[in-house]
Amino acid sequence: MTERITIDPITRLEGHGKIEIFLDDEGNVANTYFQIPELRGFERFCVGRPVEEMPVLTNRICGVCPEAHHMAAAKAADAVYKVVPPPTAKKLRELLYSAFYVTDHTTHFYALSGPDFVMGPQAPVAERNILGVIHKVGLEIGGKVIQARRYGHEVIEIIGGRKVHPCTSIPGGQTRGINEEERTAIEKMGRWAIEFAQFSLQLFADIVLGNQEYLDLILGDIYTHRMHYIGTVDENNHVNFYDGLVSVVDPNGRRLGKYAPEEYRDWIAERVEPWTYLKFPYLRKVGWKGFVGGEDSGIYSATPLSRLNAADGMATPLAQEQYERFFETLGGKPVHQQLAAHWARLIELLYAAERWVELATDPEITGDNFRTVPTETPSEGVGIVEAPRGTLTHHYWTDPRGVLTQVNLIVGTTNNYAPISMSIKKAAENLITKGTVVTEGLLNMVEMAFRSYDPCFGCATHSLPGQMPLEVKITDARGETVEVLRQYC
Amino acid sequence: MERKSEARSSVPPEGGQVPEHGATLVIGLGNPILGDDGVGWRVAEEVQARLQVLGNGQNARVERFSAGGLALMERMLGYPRAIVIDAISTGEGPAGNLCCLPLSAFPDYSAGHTTSAHDTSLHNALKVARLMGLAVPAEVWVVGIEIHRAGEFSERLSPLVEAAVPDAADKVMALLLNGAEKVVAHDLT
Repeated sequence: MTERITIDPITRLEGHGKIEIFLDDEGNVANTYFQIPELRGFERFCVGRPVEEMPVLTNRICGVCPEAHHMAAAKAADAVYKVVPPPTAKKLRELLYSAFYVTDHTTHFYALSGPDFVMGPQAPVAERNILGVIHKVGLEIGGKVIQARRYGHEVIEIIGGRKVHPCTSIPGGQTRGINEEERTAIEKMGRWAIEFAQFSLQLFADIVLGNQEYLDLILGDIYTHRMHYIGTVDENNHVNFYDGLVSVVDPNGRRLGKYAPEEYRDWIAERVEPWTYLKFPYLRKVGWKGFVGGEDSGIYSATPLSRLNAADGMATPLAQEQYERFFETLGGKPVHQQLAAHWARLIELLYAAERWVELATDPEITGDNFRTVPTETPSEGVGIVEAPRGTLTHHYWTDPRGVLTQVNLIVGTTNNYAPISMSIKKAAENLITKGTVVTEGLLNMVEMAFRSYDPCFGCATHSLPGQMPLEVKITDARGETVEVLRQYC
Repeated sequence: MERKSEARSSVPPEGGQVPEHGATLVIGLGNPILGDDGVGWRVAEEVQARLQVLGNGQNARVERFSAGGLALMERMLGYPRAIVIDAISTGEGPAGNLCCLPLSAFPDYSAGHTTSAHDTSLHNALKVARLMGLAVPAEVWVVGIEIHRAGEFSERLSPLVEAAVPDAADKVMALLLNGAEKVVAHDLT
């Protein structure tokens, strides 16, 4: 009899991701599918609208990273109008974006990935959350998390006009600048964020790196995959979230090249599979070889770990120290242990905080010239930023009036769809073998395989209760349900 | 280029404390471009229009928001009472069905962190805030509008959900004007 196990973390925030694990007659894993019933119609919804609406419209795609869509859309609109924003505008955008990264990476670590390690993957599910972290680590941690989020949102509001869904980036620059008083406040909050990022890295070192069991988990074979990596780099090949070229490295760490936004179609192709709505991007120049890793397979990932692998270093001093320690500890570049993405994310947190202060203390940040008014006839343009969970590409076509005729988006997590699927299968193969009882902790470790990618597939923006968050369904070969286990948490 | 003079420029106090507002926060929740998921926004607009007619003597502040969990909790800080208007999918009853219940009546499905890969539940977020000693609302009410699907981008509500907007606004106004006990007694009958 073939069994089917379904892990169904239903949520309206991220769409309905569902993991299905098929077992063979021996009770071993035969295959796994990570299915995404994608929310549909956004690209069609945009056609017929003025392109300058896109920075505000696209940040409604998703309640998790609206700032990333706002920036990618603004950059694509710049390209459509063939206009280069003045340095002050570019720095204001990157400053806002750095503050956003601090809030996003903080939330991910403390509310999502942190509990897996701080509480332990075998801990009862009711304890694996931010409340559990606070109870274990101390009240102080909760205050710091809230403070980090608050400071980030304050900066986003000062520069972006609103706390969560910014609205000030337009074709050619920004609708407003900042004054000295605002700059001073932003700098002060940024300096606090640097201390917080260092605190978070120390916490990770103490709790995770200091625990042999967790270290074995990270370094073990279960969560290891050799694949290609991509990430945006600056002119020195250092990680950059806002601007630069996208660096592509192979599983041996060899750089295959770097592409500009308008060249993305030369590098990225998309594979369609009949069992899911979402496409699987892969490296066009390497080719699709199925769900396998290695040099000959075009499967790549775009995560914090990928960005560190695809770059030569970090552009800020404290983050660079951590970058060096990261690769020394994990045995050199590239690192293929995918759970190391959690550590990489904290190094990016530190970089974002340092970059926040760098930009806040840049003499041009309070400049008066924060927009170049477009004069060219709009046509076509591509904008790329690094969203926290992967390289984000917006591609727009317009008529000569600037009205959209076509839209193509490759969102952050989509890049990682194939690697996530592979990681889930490998984790399942290692954790589910003949005779193994499927326990909650074990299923959580399968979930950990995809949580390390920080996946986000949806766009409904909230999650009041309405569905069960976890369902395990075992089905026989004839499609009849043998047993349903529900984990209401 | 002119800069807006109302820009915030002070560093918030440490610890996340905010000034107390004394008003009830009415918050329409959802994605306004995702079909029926945007019904919370539409009801909030209806409530705001009615309050303007009344001169907002009820000391209420109406907002529209598109995030849950920690961000929603943070938006509530400083308010003694909050009313959340949101699309809800129970799978029971036709689209447009209404409910009006305290948040505590809803199970905290995400006592773990499976409700969202990027956040925690509102329940947990409020617990965190209380642990921190932050000024979260003592009362949080939910006016829920049943929807059956929100998988396609649109600025339109489906007919049944559209038709429920005035009744949902009635429930919010009743909470504001009459207090919770009367509304809940009615809702449970």
